[in-house]
Amino acid sequence: MATPVTERPDALPYLGYGLGLRVEHYETLLAQPAGIEWLEIVSENYMVHGGLPLVWLDRFRERYPLVMHGVSLSIGSTDPLDDDYLARLAALAERVQPAWVSDHLCWTGVQGVNLHDLMPLPYTEEALDHVAARVQQVQDRLKRRILLENVSSYVSFADSQLSEWEFLAEVAERADCLILLDINNVHVSAMNHGFSALDYLRGIPVPRVQQFHLAGYEQGAQLIIDTHDAPVSNAVWDLYTEAVRRFGRVSTMIERDDDFPPLSELVLELQHARALAEPLLRDAA
Amino acid sequence: MTSLQALQQQMLQAVLTGNAPIPAIVRDDGIADARSRLAIYRHGYRVRLRDALKAEFAGLRSMAGQRFDTMLDKYIGAHPSEHYNIRWYGAGLAAFLGYAHPWRDQPQLADMARLDWAISVAFDAADETSANMAELSAVPPDAWPALRFSLQQNLHVLDCRCNIDAFRRAADHDRPRPRLRRFGQARQILVWRKDTTVHYRRLDEDEWHVLGAAMRGESFAELCAGLAGHHGETVAMQRMAVMLQGWLAAGLVRGWTLG
Repeated sequence: MATPVTERPDALPYLGYGLGLRVEHYETLLAQPAGIEWLEIVSENYMVHGGLPLVWLDRFRERYPLVMHGVSLSIGSTDPLDDDYLARLAALAERVQPAWVSDHLCWTGVQGVNLHDLMPLPYTEEALDHVAARVQQVQDRLKRRILLENVSSYVSFADSQLSEWEFLAEVAERADCLILLDINNVHVSAMNHGFSALDYLRGIPVPRVQQFHLAGYEQGAQLIIDTHDAPVSNAVWDLYTEAVRRFGRVSTMIERDDDFPPLSELVLELQHARALAEPLLRDAA
Repeated sequence: MTSLQALQQQMLQAVLTGNAPIPAIVRDDGIADARSRLAIYRHGYRVRLRDALKAEFAGLRSMAGQRFDTMLDKYIGAHPSEHYNIRWYGAGLAAFLGYAHPWRDQPQLADMARLDWAISVAFDAADETSANMAELSAVPPDAWPALRFSLQQNLHVLDCRCNIDAFRRAADHDRPRPRLRRFGQARQILVWRKDTTVHYRRLDEDEWHVLGAAMRGESFAELCAGLAGHHGETVAMQRMAVMLQGWLAAGLVRGWTLG
């Protein structure tokens, strides 16, 4: 692995260790339990006119640094970018003043139909041109650089000319955007498509990585399903360790979207992330 | 090479249509075949939409019982999602139940879906301020006849032909579902939000008469005249005072215009 690089080319802050904000943990999180340094909100959950969701959002804004993570930008779709969506996203960013805004390197629908899923792209020159141009449009609209996250995938396309990591790195380079590296998704896709997760990490440019995601998955009969309903697996912890060695100090969070345990269990998982990362970061300093 | 647009269209059809042929664009390998790989997306699409509907239609779930899942699957099959936010997917369910066999023959199901959806819409509707009794009491007596109320924009009045509110209440409080009671003529249910809490209640006939007139922008004098037709003048004024106090306490009144 390469020498860790902790200097990033922009002014985005390092936030430490955080969690995805979910309704199931609202009450407990309000008390600001120790060990949770920041929260990631799902943007669409708060792109509403008013009512309770925004009341809760304001409470958390007062207590934690927040980042916004969207699931519906559909940056890779061949449908036009949705102006209404972008306007609401920009308005939410204005209200939240997040440390950063992210979404996924994928498409979620086409021909006006939304699949509400993170559909993978073919890794082609055509897709590269298309996505990079749209990322630039979004960044111009939001007046900030965005982070794009690698998705878990279950299909790949015969037309792909690049590896997934080459594609992600090239999009980031051409569009001058940043990367949210989901360590679990790297593992899931590596197992599902038979590539090396370490090759993936080695192919991602260090200065572009601004955030890590960690999560759990379900082992299916043939494929691994990215369910976010289980603790982080040992294989993903191992890969996280390699990622820390390569990328250095990167804001890290755990996503849990189902079968919610008490918050204290997630805090213990975050503590485990610290215990793995901090000695490596101290040694590298 | 397949264009990006063509690839996405093929994938869309493969996910939406359970028995669509497997597009040749999907790579087959020794780990899993293309059919198994696509099945994950097909399954995930339906599960996500079903879960989104279950979260919004508590009353319908209670009323439909074992038929609920079939009902949702038919809706999902007939209506691809068009909004970027899955939260809005249920917007067409009540209309679907109003025309689709066999549910259109049981209009209480569409009514129930309409109430569930009105509650859902009110939940995150725009915040509004409401007027109070002290402010209304400050209106000079000679200005009252021409006074016109502005009511909350998140307020909805729904027609119902049976006790759908009882089904929703049972679902909200995790109680056994009630017996279905059909009404001789349609009644009305008021749905609104005060602060962050959504409320719903059935309207008495005279209150609906007055509230409906207020929503149409009729003056206070016209509201009183209408109510007098129900009760006679003396009782009408007492009834009006009680109703107004209730509306103000419930936060239904945004304000008013004079003259």
